[in-house]
Amino acid sequence: MNNIPIEYYLILSALMFAVGITGVLIRRNAIVVFMSIELMLNSANLSLVTFSSYLGNSIGQIFVFFVMTVAAAEAAVGLAIIIAIFRNKLNVNIDEINIFKW
Amino acid sequence: MDVSNIIESLKLIKPEIAVSASLILVLIFDLIFHKDKKLIPYVALLGLFATGYFVIHQFGTTGFGFATKSTFKAFGMVTVDSFGTFFKLLILISAVLVLFFSSFSDEIKKTTDRLGEYYVLIFGMILGMFLMVSATDFLLIYLSMELLSLSSYVLAGFTKLRDRNSEASLKYVIYGSVSSGLMLFGISIIYGLTGSTNLYVINSLIQSPQINVLALSFALILVMAGMGFKISAAPFHFWTPDVYEGSPITITAFLSVASKAAGFGLLIRFIKTGFAAMTLNNGYWMLNPIFDWKLIIVILAILTMTLGNFSALWQNNLKRMLAYSSIAHAGYLLLGLAVFSNQGIAAILIYFFVYMLMNLGAFLIVMLIADKLGSEDVDDYDGLGYTSPFLGISLAVFLVSLTGLPPTAGFIGKLYIFSALIDAKMFVVAVIGVLNSVVSLYYYIRVLKHMYLVKPKIQPVEIIPGLSQKFLVLLLVVPVLFFGIYFSPIVELAKNCVVLLGF
Amino acid sequence: MTLYDIIFYLFALITIGSAMLVVTTKNIVHAAFALLLTFFGVAGIYVLLAADFLAIVQIMVYVGGILVLIIFGVMLTNKITSVEIKTGTLNVLTASIVIGVFMGLVVSIMVWTGWYSMPAPIPATTAYGLGETLISDYALIFELLAMLLLIALVGAASIARREKESL
Repeated sequence: MNNIPIEYYLILSALMFAVGITGVLIRRNAIVVFMSIELMLNSANLSLVTFSSYLGNSIGQIFVFFVMTVAAAEAAVGLAIIIAIFRNKLNVNIDEINIFKW
Repeated sequence: MDVSNIIESLKLIKPEIAVSASLILVLIFDLIFHKDKKLIPYVALLGLFATGYFVIHQFGTTGFGFATKSTFKAFGMVTVDSFGTFFKLLILISAVLVLFFSSFSDEIKKTTDRLGEYYVLIFGMILGMFLMVSATDFLLIYLSMELLSLSSYVLAGFTKLRDRNSEASLKYVIYGSVSSGLMLFGISIIYGLTGSTNLYVINSLIQSPQINVLALSFALILVMAGMGFKISAAPFHFWTPDVYEGSPITITAFLSVASKAAGFGLLIRFIKTGFAAMTLNNGYWMLNPIFDWKLIIVILAILTMTLGNFSALWQNNLKRMLAYSSIAHAGYLLLGLAVFSNQGIAAILIYFFVYMLMNLGAFLIVMLIADKLGSEDVDDYDGLGYTSPFLGISLAVFLVSLTGLPPTAGFIGKLYIFSALIDAKMFVVAVIGVLNSVVSLYYYIRVLKHMYLVKPKIQPVEIIPGLSQKFLVLLLVVPVLFFGIYFSPIVELAKNCVVLLGF
Repeated sequence: MTLYDIIFYLFALITIGSAMLVVTTKNIVHAAFALLLTFFGVAGIYVLLAADFLAIVQIMVYVGGILVLIIFGVMLTNKITSVEIKTGTLNVLTASIVIGVFMGLVVSIMVWTGWYSMPAPIPATTAYGLGETLISDYALIFELLAMLLLIALVGAASIARREKESL
């Protein structure tokens, strides 16, 4: 039976979340930033499942199910936008995407 | 929950069902008649009117829908009350106006073969916003926000002929996903603390002393990141100027009014349902002392309006300037929330109604001018006031109203916000708000100066709007002036609509 | 240390190690493969937490769906492997201070909060209970999810489609 304290799972989730934030802050490549966002969502999912399991109610697991679907939809839209940008840039031959001030 | 319960709850979400039905109808229509797209705007308009019928019918209805087994019997994840219905009406009116804008916009006309998708996504936004303003369960809050976000990400980059649009939507996606990730993590902590996602249940549970205050505060700040993103409150506002400048102007107008309204509806309901212990007889809310909402909201409000106003001073692009101005307006609205009383909420409702008229109006004029001029730069507006007097005077009315000067409706909005603040004895905050309005005077008047006082280097173009365009402008100018003088109808409406179900 | 503990540490190590690799590696294809390992590691943790259905969904949706999408994205945009979206990133010092403070805060909250935990009976399988709840208590959310997927479908197709007038 599971005798690992709840904190261990939560620390794992917290570390993963911090790693995800790190990626968002320090990486410049849009696709890698997307991957880091997926890490953040995964860590939130992990803590939801942990709580759900230790609290003994299923809302957390249902939430995770929904989050996964939303993440898939978000990834699809996000990557479509990246590809659209890539095509525009290719056509007009600009290497950098920086029309606005960041 | 058994079937009869679901059917009972469905009666409460008729407007949402109407929106979903129209969405699918537009999609099917687009597939069948893909050769001729002229009819699609009419189908969309019909859908909006049908929705409007249900929304108006909903005024006065109160109730909870979709209660789960684990929550108390009465409290569901959808709450219908006049407060939510007011916001739904607001969203719907601005949607109808934006639909008319779209039929004039040159940007949208260039994308005729994707017109069906455009309207489908607008309906997606409306569905998300409708559910946001009535959501009382974190699951529904998260999902409806994502629904709104996903549709607006795509719409922000819809006219990708000019490549700046795609970049706007990429920035939007990345900021939006990060903020929703932060919010989700906050939600998971709150779920861990309380074991529920229902705001009513959370409210009753966080009153117990076992709740860890530090963990709860941290989680709430993360949740605020998600909601602050939607209302573009500082420090979560970075996306706003770029996205507003890069999106098609019709979508900018819609985002700046409807999306912000939905965010505010959600935020107010979230605080009221989740943290108000009770409403006192004089209309003030007694909040749970576990988290100092007042401090947080006051800081956010001051930061938001100051940053918005001072950044707007340096903008030459009118769309960008209006973006910063809309950030500043979010700050004023947050001031109304910071009072935490029914009076403050009434002031917010009044302000939003007025803000919708004047902000949409300003964007409409900028769009009409940009279609002819090909530019939104303030330097290109030199002398326009004389060659195109109708548009010039209308823009002047909207800008004066945005500043908040009498005799326009903008003055009434600000008046109610500040009097709510003074009633709550928050004098310092009120003074900061008034000073901010003075700062905003400078950049609004600068546009007028360019239109009327600066000598143009080249002969300015003459812009004569068509008859229907003139009619649409008048539809917005007349109420702005009319409600500035005779404002009791909106005040009455707003006061009747502060019915917020909760504790 | 029981076998159970060892499995937990193994999966935790895989998850966090590969997550770090995603963020640090310069090669975008390596990052995508490291992400694959992270997703598998999380799925393993789900199994330990008695969420069998979610573990399967994690593998099917994340590995089978999202990761494939991301790899497609990498392949389609490989000519400029870096779609640069920021002109300047935070410098290392500021970033590490921000992240260090944040990580300290999150970890200490996770450790010091007295989480309520009771030994819940582990159901033989979660799929039945979840399925029943999804179409009864959360029917509204379930239907809303369908709308969301429809919107995503329409949106993604609309934005990635090659424009007639632009070519």
